[in-house]
Amino acid sequence: MSNARTEEPKKTAKIDLHFVTGKGGVGKSTVAAALALSLAKAGKKCLLVELGNQSFYKDYFELDEVGYFPKSLKPGLDIALWSGPECLKEYARHLLKIESLYKLFFENPVTRSLVNIAPALPELAILGKITSGPPRNVGPAMPYDCLVIDAYATGHFLALLRAPLGMSKAVRFGPMSEQSRSIHEIICSAAQSHYYVVSLPEELPVTEALELSKSLESQVGFRPIQILNHVLEGTTDSDPSQTLQPPSLFNEAMRVQTENVRNSQERLKEYKLICLPFVLENQALSVVESLATEFSTELADV
Amino acid sequence: MSNQKLQALLESARVIVCVGSGGVGKTTVASALAYQAAKMGRRVLVLTIDPSRRLRSTMGLGERDLAQVQEPNIKGELWASIIDPKKTFDEFVLRAAQHSKGAEKLLQNPLYIQLSTSLSGSQEFTALERLYSAHESQKYDLIVLDTPPTKHAIDFLEAPQKLSALFSDSVAKWFREPEGQSLLVRVMKSGTRQVLKALELLTGSEFMGELSDFFRNIQGWQKKLEARIADVHGLLVSSTTHFVLVSSLDKAKVMEAQYFAREIKKGGYQLSALIINRIQPYWMAESIERSANQQEIKSSLEQRLIDYYSEREKKVLQVESNIPLIVKVPELRENISDMNGVVEMALRLFEKSSEKPELS
Repeated sequence: MSNARTEEPKKTAKIDLHFVTGKGGVGKSTVAAALALSLAKAGKKCLLVELGNQSFYKDYFELDEVGYFPKSLKPGLDIALWSGPECLKEYARHLLKIESLYKLFFENPVTRSLVNIAPALPELAILGKITSGPPRNVGPAMPYDCLVIDAYATGHFLALLRAPLGMSKAVRFGPMSEQSRSIHEIICSAAQSHYYVVSLPEELPVTEALELSKSLESQVGFRPIQILNHVLEGTTDSDPSQTLQPPSLFNEAMRVQTENVRNSQERLKEYKLICLPFVLENQALSVVESLATEFSTELADV
Repeated sequence: MSNQKLQALLESARVIVCVGSGGVGKTTVASALAYQAAKMGRRVLVLTIDPSRRLRSTMGLGERDLAQVQEPNIKGELWASIIDPKKTFDEFVLRAAQHSKGAEKLLQNPLYIQLSTSLSGSQEFTALERLYSAHESQKYDLIVLDTPPTKHAIDFLEAPQKLSALFSDSVAKWFREPEGQSLLVRVMKSGTRQVLKALELLTGSEFMGELSDFFRNIQGWQKKLEARIADVHGLLVSSTTHFVLVSSLDKAKVMEAQYFAREIKKGGYQLSALIINRIQPYWMAESIERSANQQEIKSSLEQRLIDYYSEREKKVLQVESNIPLIVKVPELRENISDMNGVVEMALRLFEKSSEKPELS
């Protein structure tokens, strides 16, 4: 595994941010990995980021370790796990500069518990890290063209995005306030930030996706891209009113599925919609590979 | 044979906590366990978080936050309640501070508002607070708690400790040291002051002002919060409290369940069962039966799906288990998110499901 940090940063005006969210259990993490891989295959240097203390991708891809510092996953694609306290530490190290002060700050048990939980700090630190590349340029350089963030599910994601605006309203002066405003500007920039809401072709997940998309639009000012995941082959082109023979439970299920896909597409039609197939494969990396191919063709149209 | 262990659990448990990541059917499973216990004659309360509108109305909840569920098979009582995290947290703060001015002011503090949103663990604390109050009321033989969706099951148990750390005196006292201390105290605290200075450099003086305001205002009730967290912990490690982990059939998720089982044991809690939901689609058993009767399966997609699900199940169950009871539940024929779905889930859990024998 190569250490990604040693590579030269590219001179870009911005790092594209792709946030993938959706209700729990819709395949958000798989979709995020596939999107990241398709971007990497298109020649972009890409970092796949998961949020929190514990990695999902570690078990999913059977990796030795996924941590704060990026590790290579595939050519052009690195992976990292960012938690609030880790992001805050890096930011503090960057700002405090004096190592002894930094040590005093973070090796103090009281500060340690404070940064873990002080309201809004971890969320701001995570978004601060995500948006730390150009044009903000805060903290160490990030040698990437784009970041794909396997973000929190629904409500937690909205709360995360609200943090900078909330903080800049609560605290109007000082570095925290300035940082909050510039973070908020970037997550509201349609040129730099892209949002993807993943759902399944079923009634409730689509309802939730639509609700989430509305809130998201009112928070950032533009519409997310919809991703309908697990679309079973044959369900987009057959006629749901036709009864398949023999009258088995399987054929009934296929008819219902066809109807569900059709209804979901209809309900999501006001959005840019990407349908991803149900890949009948149990090897995580092959699933991600085939979805990445789908993404490449779909994104070529955008 | 099948399900006797799960049935026995419902007979003896006083508290069942259903944990698991989002989207695995936790609410339905929690409600089904409660329903089954009520069917057996117990007085049961199920505490749910954000149930679907249909489940809400078919449970008779509507806009109320507590209702008795009417269903012909219930011999005991089934009560359903919805937890409103923000409301419960605010109420707890006000109660703990005995409705003092400080508490009213705290509710307006921007940092408190952020704290009482979903990211800081206050939701988890609130769920446990409701659980404890219900337990204290002694109105129920069994309380089943559906927990807030977390990325990882373990987050749920860590949340109260995190919250408790925020309110621990050692943190709070930094921000409300009275003026005019002796020189000795000041010298001893010079390290602390440097740390605070660093924090101010990072965040700005206005933020520090809000932060110390926040800590001054929580002064009145933090002892109560800590006491409450200790009481709740006592209840969670009691021998009549059982954790049930709900998972989907996904290798990464089941591996996480193993990790959770280890962690939970270390904490002194007991993980009594793992329920793997939607282990295969509802049509699959019939398809397999058909093919066993030598009726050719016409659609190649059907066969490929069967192979896919069978392989997935095999792969997942290969993961070595340290969990005493694993219950597998197939997908329901219709994805019903109402009381009928709960009744159907109970049927799957207690009458139709297969149970994996104990593994050492």
